[in-house]
Amino acid sequence: MSLFNLFSVSASGMSAQRLRAQLLVENMANAETTRTPEGGPYRRKDAVFTSEPQGSPFSAVFQAEVDGAAGVAVAEVIEDTREPVKRYLPGHPDADSAGYVAFPRVNPAEDMVDLMNASRGFQANVSAISAVRDMIHRSLDLLR
Amino acid sequence: MWRFVGAFAALRLWHAPCSTPGGMLNPIASQLERYLDLLVERQRLVASNIANADTPDYKTRDIDFHFEFMSLARGARPRAIEAQGLQMKNDGNNVSVDRESRLLAENALRFNAAAALLKGQLQAVRTAIKEGRT
Repeated sequence: MSLFNLFSVSASGMSAQRLRAQLLVENMANAETTRTPEGGPYRRKDAVFTSEPQGSPFSAVFQAEVDGAAGVAVAEVIEDTREPVKRYLPGHPDADSAGYVAFPRVNPAEDMVDLMNASRGFQANVSAISAVRDMIHRSLDLLR
Repeated sequence: MWRFVGAFAALRLWHAPCSTPGGMLNPIASQLERYLDLLVERQRLVASNIANADTPDYKTRDIDFHFEFMSLARGARPRAIEAQGLQMKNDGNNVSVDRESRLLAENALRFNAAAALLKGQLQAVRTAIKEGRT
């Protein structure tokens, strides 16, 4: 139970939000990608979060506060299972026999809103860290 | 972090005749110590709520501050409860980032005020030890 463990909690939030932002940016970059190593068009990715107990890096895991601070972790990265969008482009090298090309079902508006959400979440965690840092400074001031 | 305050309390053991109930410090200091401990605990839950603002099915956690301050035994851990009256989102998460930001700022402010008061107490002891010289 120390102020320093709070850093681990907020840091876990920051890294989870960063990974989510990374996936969202990847989605927007690949909005028109029709070829992937797995075959077929690119599929939209998203992160699913789960809460996870966080200990300080210096204490054993079993000492980590089980009932107190829970950080966050990325449980899994999910891929969109919806059917790709078909566009009629007969001249395209990836077109099927009927002349349709499968494009990823990526909605830029959806991704931008999620990206703003991720960035705000990141900022909230940074504010939490600076508030805690201020509290630690005040505690150290008691010794002066 | 507050162990050195505990060390002052321990002084009582080997110098009982001149001690007052709070050791060298007056009784308010030990109340302040408990107050600071509770604020740290609450800040922990707030940080954890903020980190989990996007976790499906996560419920906001908090402590009943007044109750814990009145009843908490020395060294015991306060109980985390689920905060009531918050609106749940579609994914079963009910973290309100506004509420958590407010608590974050409020806890930091309360902590600073209590730390300043405690510092005053410690300064008084120090002045006594140094016989009034600075």
